[in-house]
Amino acid sequence: MSVDASPRTMSPGHPGLSPLTKLAVAILAVALFIALAGPFLATHDPLMFSADMNEGPSAEHLLGTDDAGQDVYSRLLIGTGLSLLYGASAALVALGVGALAALLALAFGRPTEIVLFGLVDLIRALPGILFALACIIAFEPGVGSVILALGISFAPNFALITRAAFLHQMAQPYTAAARMLGAGRTRVALVHVLPNIAGALVTQFAIILPRCIVSESVLSFLGLGVSPELPTWGRMIAGATPYLEEAPHAALAPIIALSLVTFAFAIVGNEVRQRFNISRRSVVL
Amino acid sequence: MSPHLRRLLASIGLDVLRSLGIALGIVVFTFFVIRMIPGDVVDVRGLEGSLTYSQQSAMREDLGLNKAWLQQFLDWSGMILSGDLGQSARYSIPIVDLLATVLPSTILLGTTALAIGLVLGIALPTLACLYPRSVFVTLVEAITIWSITVPTFSIGITCLIVFAVWLQWIPAIGNFVVPALILAVDTAGTLAKGLYEDMKETQRAEFIRAARAKGLSRTGIVLRHVLPNALTVTIALIGLMLAGVFTGAITMEVVFGLAGLGTMTLQAIQGRDYAVVQAIIIWLGFAVILANLVTDIVRKLVDPRLRNV
Repeated sequence: MSVDASPRTMSPGHPGLSPLTKLAVAILAVALFIALAGPFLATHDPLMFSADMNEGPSAEHLLGTDDAGQDVYSRLLIGTGLSLLYGASAALVALGVGALAALLALAFGRPTEIVLFGLVDLIRALPGILFALACIIAFEPGVGSVILALGISFAPNFALITRAAFLHQMAQPYTAAARMLGAGRTRVALVHVLPNIAGALVTQFAIILPRCIVSESVLSFLGLGVSPELPTWGRMIAGATPYLEEAPHAALAPIIALSLVTFAFAIVGNEVRQRFNISRRSVVL
Repeated sequence: MSPHLRRLLASIGLDVLRSLGIALGIVVFTFFVIRMIPGDVVDVRGLEGSLTYSQQSAMREDLGLNKAWLQQFLDWSGMILSGDLGQSARYSIPIVDLLATVLPSTILLGTTALAIGLVLGIALPTLACLYPRSVFVTLVEAITIWSITVPTFSIGITCLIVFAVWLQWIPAIGNFVVPALILAVDTAGTLAKGLYEDMKETQRAEFIRAARAKGLSRTGIVLRHVLPNALTVTIALIGLMLAGVFTGAITMEVVFGLAGLGTMTLQAIQGRDYAVVQAIIIWLGFAVILANLVTDIVRKLVDPRLRNV
């Protein structure tokens, strides 16, 4: 098992995926398929309550039922789509806000840079999900505020990456040439530098996406996630936790799904990083 | 005063100023974010039916909730600066006392995890460097993938199912060892990979060859030259790890039913006890800022290359 070994040399024409990476891609493909086809594969209404509470797996309920008699299999299918959707949306918000704000602040000059990166330091000083937690209780819990709160908490990672990559690009001759041809600082930043730092941003995105999915489930677990009618993995885990003795399957099913997907994303993210030839250290955790 | 010392002091001074700025930012941020929440503690207690209308307005008057925001902010920051965190509006006891009852258990969990994690996270890469064809190299890889991919709260619940429900080795509520170990492995994982790669990189440096030529043993080189040089990067991660361990401790407490900061945070959020939430965010934020400041200073003391202002 050699993940993230010393920098591999790969000829561009021959990708040569390791078996582990192939497995990870397969897991993600299955997850994506389930996310899209979930509503058609579901055997029950994921929200329908029934009297069969905390039952083990059977022919009727493939993965058993939870404490409200809801079908775990159907909820898991729907939940896969929701968890991936919310995680990806949050990561996209983080990418958009973080990268754009950083590029514009850097283009406008020193004062805006100081203000923005002061904000970045501030958000990073509130550990882990604490910042998202504060935002959500301020905006009222809900899908929008969860996505926004997670997006803002992870935006600093993208801002920091953008700054490092931007400074590196500004030292290259092509940016000086663009400036000399009369392009403004904002134009150089958005038209010339942005495409050249895309690799670094994509790599960071691949690392942040699974963390958004996990953070959403932690928030749901703490009771600050999306509404109870939306069976994301975090909600399913949170709902099943008080009944571990009667129905461990109801907690294990979403936990296994969550772990498989984060595992696959970590492997794929690592592969992406090596493809773009970006060192481990220039990724912001 | 030598120019070197002056440069070191100037650089440390800037760090201190920056940290103070961020600390102030956190105070402002928490105040205004918490004030944006619709409904205050008086509303919640009113809904619970424990207060009459006139009692509610008296309580608002008492807590200063009917003053202008700016006035409330000034009053409150003055209070915070004098070290008084205010009262929990829900329990009517000083927040300092509330924190004092829960902090020791959270700090115990956090520091135990951090200590085991640091030992594991430094020992494994060192052993992997000393014995490059051994199982330790695989262990470094495994622990890294583990910490990236397995969220601590879900492994916590899995452990509860396996050890408490199926095997019945631990009680379902109040176990300390399992959450500490889970957090420790997580910490070690964040540390191990980076340190291992830095050590391998350092081993290729010229001065290592010189040490080898001088006749030093392999073990001596790894322990006395490679490890200390690679550790400077690791020190920078300690602030980040501290933050990780403490937020991890919060979820672990909720999962394993331990009394502590985590359970208190959750109750404070649910009960809309602003002052308590503010205090927790502020003091956790301050702890992280302080940890980052200390690591920055330590790094500058041990590595002169970082002293440029």
